[in-house]
Amino acid sequence: MIGPLLAMWQADAAFPSGSFAFSNGLEGLAASEALDGEALERMIAGVLRRRWATADRVAMLQAFARADDLDAVAEIDAEVEATTLSEPFRAGSRRNGAGLLAAHVRIATPGAGEWQARVRAGRAQGHLAPTQGVVWRGAGLDAEGATLASGYMVLSGFTTAAVRLGVVGAVAAQAVVRRLLPLLAELAAAPAPERIASFAPRLDIAAARHARGELRLFSN
Amino acid sequence: MKPADYASGEAAAGRHRRAELVFARGGGRSALVRQVSPYPFHTTRPFALDRARPDLATLYLQSASGGVYRGDVLDLAFTVKDGAAAHVTSQAATVVHDTGAARARQTTDIAIGAGAFGALTLDPLILFPGAELGVRTRVDLAEGALAILADGVAWHDFAGRDRPFRSLTSEVAVYGPDGRLLALDRSTVDGADLIGPASLLGAGMGAYGSAMLLGPAEKLPSADALEQALEAVGCRAGASPLPNGAGVGVRMLAANGGRIATGVEAIFNLGVAAMLGFAPARRRK
Repeated sequence: MIGPLLAMWQADAAFPSGSFAFSNGLEGLAASEALDGEALERMIAGVLRRRWATADRVAMLQAFARADDLDAVAEIDAEVEATTLSEPFRAGSRRNGAGLLAAHVRIATPGAGEWQARVRAGRAQGHLAPTQGVVWRGAGLDAEGATLASGYMVLSGFTTAAVRLGVVGAVAAQAVVRRLLPLLAELAAAPAPERIASFAPRLDIAAARHARGELRLFSN
Repeated sequence: MKPADYASGEAAAGRHRRAELVFARGGGRSALVRQVSPYPFHTTRPFALDRARPDLATLYLQSASGGVYRGDVLDLAFTVKDGAAAHVTSQAATVVHDTGAARARQTTDIAIGAGAFGALTLDPLILFPGAELGVRTRVDLAEGALAILADGVAWHDFAGRDRPFRSLTSEVAVYGPDGRLLALDRSTVDGADLIGPASLLGAGMGAYGSAMLLGPAEKLPSADALEQALEAVGCRAGASPLPNGAGVGVRMLAANGGRIATGVEAIFNLGVAAMLGFAPARRRK
């Protein structure tokens, strides 16, 4: 039973990965259009289907599979850099990756120290998804648990940010999470595509405009 | 061209054609030194439309057959040699018809030489119900090259029943002088993702577009200027620096393809002003 427990441990918001600092475009979106629980749910469903399942999950799983070959992970990391066209998302992914990595270095997760040394030496960017692949492999998660943790963190990240932004109440947010769990399970069970792809122009636009805003609660 | 090549409509399915346009600097202008445009491609002669830069050649590219059909593979190679300046644009939107079981493909290879300027700005694709298209674009930039790519996507059900196109897979890869991958925009979207209240684009958006302005930061318009110019023509837009210092990227959403076409024009105008230092003349269509 250790596999599911390890996944829960990593998906738990109490794990200090620093992800609370990022709204991943939601703050910008909420500032530009009226969002309610229903609109939030549709938006998160779109992100899960057209970005998480096809980009974040792909990079994480590729790095997970090759975690013992950091040259290969660095290539995946470079592809994440090149395919993340939105600067606020690139910066957020690097910072979030650094936060997760720092926590794993401190608890001595196998492989975390070497990956951090490479990132600090400027030989990799340390994006979140490939970093998750490295540290979760080192921490003993299996690929299925790592996939679920990665997807759940996207889902709960958005709903948590939505509560903090006043888009929905804390309880309503949990109803959104519950309604989206079957979609997440379905996406997680489908084979991952071979190449990173994503389609989220609405959030790219929201994040780009948000990046130059003066009053911001979140980094992106 | 053989008469059989003139087939159109359903009979035109499954064509594989490659067009080639090469511009090179010579005699104070950018000459079209190689032009291959087999049916269904049709290109005009190059025009010098800008008094400030008579060496900037502008050429219109159009499809003579009324669009893209099932199984079509349409390749375009657009090369601007060192120091030359060329703009290829479309005469009108390109319709992609129901492709049935054989998806259509379009590939574009763009090579911009040292110190050269190249722009490919296209009216939106209009995807009809059942259309499935794969679009792949590769851009190779030499030292000091400047480039503008801008296009868009819209969809239309001529029967008024909101039937979606099947899917659009798109890839734009930009490589630097040393062959290193700088930016890669890859996506797949189904028409069903873009229709109705659950549309990924949000309420009231019937088209989207994107652009890359490639070159060093000091030769590019600011993200703010791009967003404001696009907002002024009815496009909701976001601009941000591209990875690896490639330039600036733009995404835009609008109510319809017409606004995206106007947005593409606005991006070209701002891009030329920043890169070449003058306001380009209107490209009449």
